[in-house]
Amino acid sequence: MNSTPRILNRILIGILGFKLLAVGILLMLLATVPAVGTWWQAWSRSVWDGANRVFEGTRFPGRTESWLWIVLALFLIVLSGLMVAWVAQQGKGRTDLLLAAEDPGGVPGDIRIGSGVAEQALKNALAERPDLAGAAVTTYQVRGQPALKIRLHPRPGVPPQVLAADTAALVAALEAVVGQRTPVLLHIAAGARTRFSRAERVR
Amino acid sequence: MSSVIEQQNEAGDAPGEGPAGPAHAASFDMKRALRRETHSSRAAAAGLAAALVILLCLYALLEAGVRAIGQPPWLIDPQTAAERIVALPGGMPPLLLGVTGAVTAAAGLFFFLNAVLPGRRARHLLEDRHIAVVVDDEIIASALARRARLAANVTQEQVMVVVSQRQAVVNVRPTSGVPVSETAIREAVEDELRSMAPTPMPLVRINLATSGVIGA
Repeated sequence: MNSTPRILNRILIGILGFKLLAVGILLMLLATVPAVGTWWQAWSRSVWDGANRVFEGTRFPGRTESWLWIVLALFLIVLSGLMVAWVAQQGKGRTDLLLAAEDPGGVPGDIRIGSGVAEQALKNALAERPDLAGAAVTTYQVRGQPALKIRLHPRPGVPPQVLAADTAALVAALEAVVGQRTPVLLHIAAGARTRFSRAERVR
Repeated sequence: MSSVIEQQNEAGDAPGEGPAGPAHAASFDMKRALRRETHSSRAAAAGLAAALVILLCLYALLEAGVRAIGQPPWLIDPQTAAERIVALPGGMPPLLLGVTGAVTAAAGLFFFLNAVLPGRRARHLLEDRHIAVVVDDEIIASALARRARLAANVTQEQVMVVVSQRQAVVNVRPTSGVPVSETAIREAVEDELRSMAPTPMPLVRINLATSGVIGA
């Protein structure tokens, strides 16, 4: 439901994982195979000499420091910023508007219904059930359209199809009140509250 | 609020089809939502990866900055670090080097597999005409266990159900001296599964333990 960038997550995690894997395997080979050690020393020496030459060629006029250090520091800062932005994208997508429409009637003005209407109504209707240990309702914006996500934590042994049917009825009633069909995703979830709560014996 | 909903529910059986309900939901891609709900978003791994990269960046910045203003390095200055890396198999005990490599490779493998594997979650879908329903396998197992317990007439502790993508394994330990019918349990569990109708439908397997429980 939320707008977590899943493809981006996979790509970035894959890149990082591949790099770490390569470094780790190289370190293990260095520790065990002597031939890799001699190759590594020759190769990395040439790379290091090349880097030194670049640093010496980019000095500030009249000083010993290279301006490449500043470029490097800027790159690291930008990279950290991008990482923070990436983390901030996870689990985004909540909205606080259930409906925003133009009123076609004679009265001028728009209609806006806050998502709290649906969330509070459904939560209150579900809170009285003895077979539930908890319920949560959130509104997400999915491709520019509001959608409800209901998460139910039933007590042990409660058949999920009964919960699904009852929730569908509640949602249908809510749609009649609001006057709009809202896509609804119901997640009947297990959790600590489900596992350790008392089983409901009498229904 | 809830009383209003109950009244509305009794008044009209299929709201949303009348003039009050425009077909707004039609454009919503429910298939996509369900696919996203049954697969991991890898948000935790993403946060871990980002934290790792940020820490490395900050450390490199610190050492570079300390060097730039001519202070002594905190742990190691960049020049020495690079020279040590170039000289690598030497200057470090091979065991420590190997273990460092193994730990790094294991972390890399964790991230890499996280990215490559499908990341399917232990959830099933339920059919419903109006709303999309996703159920954790644990909930299905718990419902099946209740039915199996009632059919076998045993206590809660004597039944254990494990539900996976294509299989539901019901383990029952009968009470010593009280016969338990496997067909009765199978029928009860399959009946419950039929009325639940999860997708994909798991196959039922019943395991009756040969040793019973005493005094249950």
